[in-house]
Amino acid sequence: MMASEGIFITGSGILNPLGRGHLSTLRSLKNSVRGIRNINLFEVAADQLMPVANIDTPLKIEDGIPRTHALALAAAQDAMEGHRCTPDAIVIGVTTGGMSKSEVLLNSGVKSPKEFAYHGTGTVATYLAKHFSCHGPVFTISTACSSGTVAIKIALELIRQGKANRVLAGGVDALCWFTYFGFLSLQLLDPKGARPLDRDRAGISLGEGAAMFLIERAKNPPPGSVTQVLGGGISCDAYHPTAPHPTGDGALKAMRDAIADAGIDAADIGYVNLHGTATMDNDASEAMALKRLFGDRIPPLSSTKGMTGHSLGAAGAVEFAICSLSVSEGIIPGNIGCMNLDSSLGILPVLKPESRPVKIAMSNSFGFGGNNASVIIGSVDVRPPDRPEAHPRSLQVTGLACLTGAGDMDASFQKFSQGISIAGTLNNEEISKDLSQRYVRRLKRISRMALALATAAHKNAGGGGKPSSIYFGTGWGPLSETYDFLTKLFESDMRFASPTDFINSVHNAPAGQVAMEFKSTGANMTASGGDYSFEQALWISSLLASEKEALLLFGADEMHKELSPLFDPSVALDTTPSDGGGAIMAIATTKPSGPTVTPLVYVMALKDAGWTIMNDLNISDDINAHYGAIFYGIPLAYEEMARNQLTNFLSHSGFRGPVIDYRKYTGQYAASSAVAVVLAIKTIEKGFLSAGLTGTGEVSLGKNGILVMGFGPYCTAIGIHN
Amino acid sequence: MEELSNEKILIGKLIDELKRKVLDILNIQDISLSDIDNNAPLVGNELGIDSIDILELVTVIEKDYGVRIDNKELGQKVFASFASLAQYIYDNRTLI
Repeated sequence: MMASEGIFITGSGILNPLGRGHLSTLRSLKNSVRGIRNINLFEVAADQLMPVANIDTPLKIEDGIPRTHALALAAAQDAMEGHRCTPDAIVIGVTTGGMSKSEVLLNSGVKSPKEFAYHGTGTVATYLAKHFSCHGPVFTISTACSSGTVAIKIALELIRQGKANRVLAGGVDALCWFTYFGFLSLQLLDPKGARPLDRDRAGISLGEGAAMFLIERAKNPPPGSVTQVLGGGISCDAYHPTAPHPTGDGALKAMRDAIADAGIDAADIGYVNLHGTATMDNDASEAMALKRLFGDRIPPLSSTKGMTGHSLGAAGAVEFAICSLSVSEGIIPGNIGCMNLDSSLGILPVLKPESRPVKIAMSNSFGFGGNNASVIIGSVDVRPPDRPEAHPRSLQVTGLACLTGAGDMDASFQKFSQGISIAGTLNNEEISKDLSQRYVRRLKRISRMALALATAAHKNAGGGGKPSSIYFGTGWGPLSETYDFLTKLFESDMRFASPTDFINSVHNAPAGQVAMEFKSTGANMTASGGDYSFEQALWISSLLASEKEALLLFGADEMHKELSPLFDPSVALDTTPSDGGGAIMAIATTKPSGPTVTPLVYVMALKDAGWTIMNDLNISDDINAHYGAIFYGIPLAYEEMARNQLTNFLSHSGFRGPVIDYRKYTGQYAASSAVAVVLAIKTIEKGFLSAGLTGTGEVSLGKNGILVMGFGPYCTAIGIHN
Repeated sequence: MEELSNEKILIGKLIDELKRKVLDILNIQDISLSDIDNNAPLVGNELGIDSIDILELVTVIEKDYGVRIDNKELGQKVFASFASLAQYIYDNRTLI
């Protein structure tokens, strides 16, 4: 991006327990409204009743659409109001997806996949993309309670690196049984309501909400914009599945990175909106990090979760909106709910709302899996420093691994390269055969896959340096834990839930396990957008990784005999239950040598897919001079539409090499593209495609690469080069 | 006297039952019942049990014995050892 341009918030929508829209939220902040009260969304037994912050604002919900999607749409409509433009990209942070609807269906024994069409976390962003006719990259971040903040940082990088001019980004989550009874089982809900920084604090108050922002680059502040996004930082504790690092190492790193990214000094910050969940551990760890960052010059700060509750994936976005109000309206919200300040924390929050000018504010969000994110927001008259033009990086491959029905990478590639199916499922013991039983005793299927893939890829890379950041794509996340959690809950008539299953059910749990294994304290990203999740994780890695950074990119999905056919329509149509994943150890760089993976295309399905794909592939001459084969994936549920796209692309591009349908070999599962990319790299290393695979005789690749493509609701292309 | 020894026997049985339950629920496969000291701390020993496991046990103990352990202070007291856990369940159980 050009020097001296800014990245402005030109539209925003907020829907939270304090009201809908900025005016009502601002009024509530000024009046210190505590939006925490008895739940009225669903029934809870008297001895399980905990105060929550649910949204009472009447909501228009389209027939069959889950509450999460409706909250997201309402906030997005407010953000887009008065704008005639279409966003180039959408980035949404969310953890529950359609769970509020799915859990009720599952409890009533509904077995029709159609009813679960909006279950996936990725369906929220797709719902918005359809509504606003967005064709560009549509990403879903599921990093637990930091999701909303991470979404904003990714939007910022999409713009900085020239992949979009305007992005709709934000976070959303709706209250549901799953999270209510999950946090209840963790004994993390305060019966008296959240009391951030109070010495008697006893946990969070679960909330819900949505906040969306239209973020645009411009040379001068566009009319109506009052704030801008200055920077963001992301880190991982790599310490524990749920407990924060005791001295706040990860939180400190996220804040420091955000400040450096914004090109400001810590002393420039006029307000910090804390993560401030009101659990004993979070508040202690965050206070420690703040003292380490600011020394004895700690700026005004407060947690607003005593007012809004903790809306999980939405929290970061809601608090970003509050920071935006702080800057635009000159208000420091009060740290409501704190009656007896915990003096041992050594930080002094603003207890009652104050009027004072704020030029720059910082918002903190930390989550399960040790995921931390901080973002910096400034008034429009702050001049961001000039920064060198940045571009998405390629991944220079240093190690590979995959798991399929056929076994590990060697077994899988041997079969695949001869054109033999690698579909099917390994049992859990086979998956984790090289992992210590002690280490995996609490883990079910997908987290075992994750650890097996990560350790195998690291070993394949020569076992040297560990990756500093982790990028993970999963269509459906930990289904075994999700199913077991709900089953136990339903069978006990909502009395008992497993805290272990709850913790391990979050989509980012597998990536969190890997981070702990490798002590990877850089970014820890989990993208979850159905069949295109691995592609999203790849894109995000290329946007977030720094030059020469060592990272691990992987994708995995598990076959669960009850849930997979309900949630994934392609699994429902397949005859061989299959699952697996692929992992790549890599160095991110703009000047790669050796085998590399580059994200090239990510567009929503269009009528004339061929033209758009060719345009994004950026090939001006003959495609046959660049690529020697195409591996394509067509999710069975979208067969007809996807075939048309493929045909259109092939005729438009004039591609003449072998075109391999990889799902024919891997079987049907969302992360099969991760396996395809690993197999494509292996094929390039080998130099030719066997007659068994092409069906027409051996084909040499020469110096040409392979395109790994996806068709269906989105069209994607990944370039594999040697 | 007779009652007291009866209680001792029942608690002894309960301790064994709890050990089996803990190893099973927490999927700890490489330790046998006789290796576990009744009076050793549950957390932070060779069993590798942590706070998440304790919460898992809390739900199982409420489900199987009708004994609720819903705050950290009580939890620390009750989960001090298998002996203390068995004693607390023996004194408070509502489900047999």
